Amino acid sequence: MKVNVEKIENNVATLKIEVEAGEFEKAIEQSYRKNVKRFNIPGFRRGKAPRSLIERYYGPEVFYEDAAEIVLSEAYKKVVEENSLEPVDHPHFDIDKIGKDIGIVATAKVTVKPEVKLGQYKGLEVEKMVYNVTEEDVEKELKDLQEKNARLVSVERPAQKGDVVVVDLEGFANGEPLKDAKVQNYPLELGSKILVEDLEEKIIGMKPGETKEVAVTYPAEHPNKDLAGKEVLFKVSLKEVKEKELPQLDDEFAKDVSEFETLEELKQDIKNRLEERAKSLSESSLRGAILKKVVEQAEVDIPQVMVDREIERLIMDFAFQLRLRGLDLKQYLEISKLSPEEFKGRFQERAYNNVKTSLVLEALAKAENIEVTEEEVDEELAKYAEAAHKSLAEYKKNLKEEDLEHIKDHILTRKIFDFLISQAKVNEKVVENFSQGEGEGEEEQA
Amino acid sequence: MSKDPHDIIIRPWITEKSMAMKEQRKYTFVVHPDANKTEIKNAVEAIFGVKVEKVNTMNVRGKKKRVGIHEGKRPDWKKAIVTLKKDSKPIEFFESL
Repeated sequence: MKVNVEKIENNVATLKIEVEAGEFEKAIEQSYRKNVKRFNIPGFRRGKAPRSLIERYYGPEVFYEDAAEIVLSEAYKKVVEENSLEPVDHPHFDIDKIGKDIGIVATAKVTVKPEVKLGQYKGLEVEKMVYNVTEEDVEKELKDLQEKNARLVSVERPAQKGDVVVVDLEGFANGEPLKDAKVQNYPLELGSKILVEDLEEKIIGMKPGETKEVAVTYPAEHPNKDLAGKEVLFKVSLKEVKEKELPQLDDEFAKDVSEFETLEELKQDIKNRLEERAKSLSESSLRGAILKKVVEQAEVDIPQVMVDREIERLIMDFAFQLRLRGLDLKQYLEISKLSPEEFKGRFQERAYNNVKTSLVLEALAKAENIEVTEEEVDEELAKYAEAAHKSLAEYKKNLKEEDLEHIKDHILTRKIFDFLISQAKVNEKVVENFSQGEGEGEEEQA
Repeated sequence: MSKDPHDIIIRPWITEKSMAMKEQRKYTFVVHPDANKTEIKNAVEAIFGVKVEKVNTMNVRGKKKRVGIHEGKRPDWKKAIVTLKKDSKPIEFFESL
């Protein structure tokens, strides 16, 4: 078996494969054994016919295709290993000559991983968002907590904004009762905008026990097309008005909602948590910023197959998400009125970026000799094992090969980032008021 | 005897069983229904250039087959199992199979 790499051009490697007759013969024999069961020759039970007879019946070429595949894939594996090629696609074989006496001469074409030309990745200037947690943030968080723990108390007074009212509702359009528009004992928070705003507006001021008919105009952009822009008559009877009673902010409250004894402690805890969140947020935004710069600077000629693969993966992910919501991809396309091509096109850019990012990270690891040692993996695993209340050995036993690979990847990525950050010039940019800055950096997460 | 040896030996009988019997120097043929053992022996020797020890023959009755209500019959034929002498060379035709 002779295999040569002829050339590599545009990330496509061309391989020349020559297989001698003897080796090909062996492959034919192999393919005969694999396929005898398929041939039916009178006088023989299936799978018992001798090879020479099958060849006389069906012609000697019957086994060629299969045998060629056997030898070629073997040869291909060999050449990939010897030349440490990194294919990203299935190879495409072209058979030039084939025969029992001459063996096979074939060329194979396969797309290989592109080379990455890293740009500057040391000493990059990046901005790091630092979020300051202020007293205000803590207060806000505390207020949310208060709100969540509010009690509803019935009151005898006209309904106000912020109250929760219990109502019976019945809707009529053009004198006909509307489908799905009749509810009883419906708890409605005024100001929550769950129902048409106009309707909520008109309930304000009603007293418990009062019944009223109100005309409501649905806004033109209402999701229900049948009703948008139309006037609907609602029969409203208000049964109860409930006021939200916020709990007092004191030690008692702290005891109720948390494991802390005093309000001070609770506040401190909230502050700590917010600070932690702020820290991880600024960390991930920093990573995102660095990564973006490094990837931007690098040059890669990415083969379309890699992007296509990634697109497929993204679509699968997306379909999975849809299924969790009880839709399938076909339905989604119908609803969103997208052709499959358009739909795919949407992923193109993201897929391209994903591929580029992973290639760049890989190249970085190679360029800087960043590797993950067994000990580091064990260390990481020990953390997981502890979280799962198992011993390290026990936890390890349950892991599959791919899980390990995944963890390794994870550590590697972290190490690369540590390296990048240690090399970068980080300018800190302080953002007061954590809750306002929140949400900005999140999409950058790798 | 003016029969041509190729009129006596019609064709080889190739089945799993007959292929297995090659091991015992026994070769199976479809022969002319009227041929006797001596004729078969001479014909095989003439065609393949081998030495024949003995010939066993049997008449095989054709199977009854029907298509709907029409019943038909496959032709009867004669099968001959030819055993070669120990010092004879094998029949090449069979070996190539």
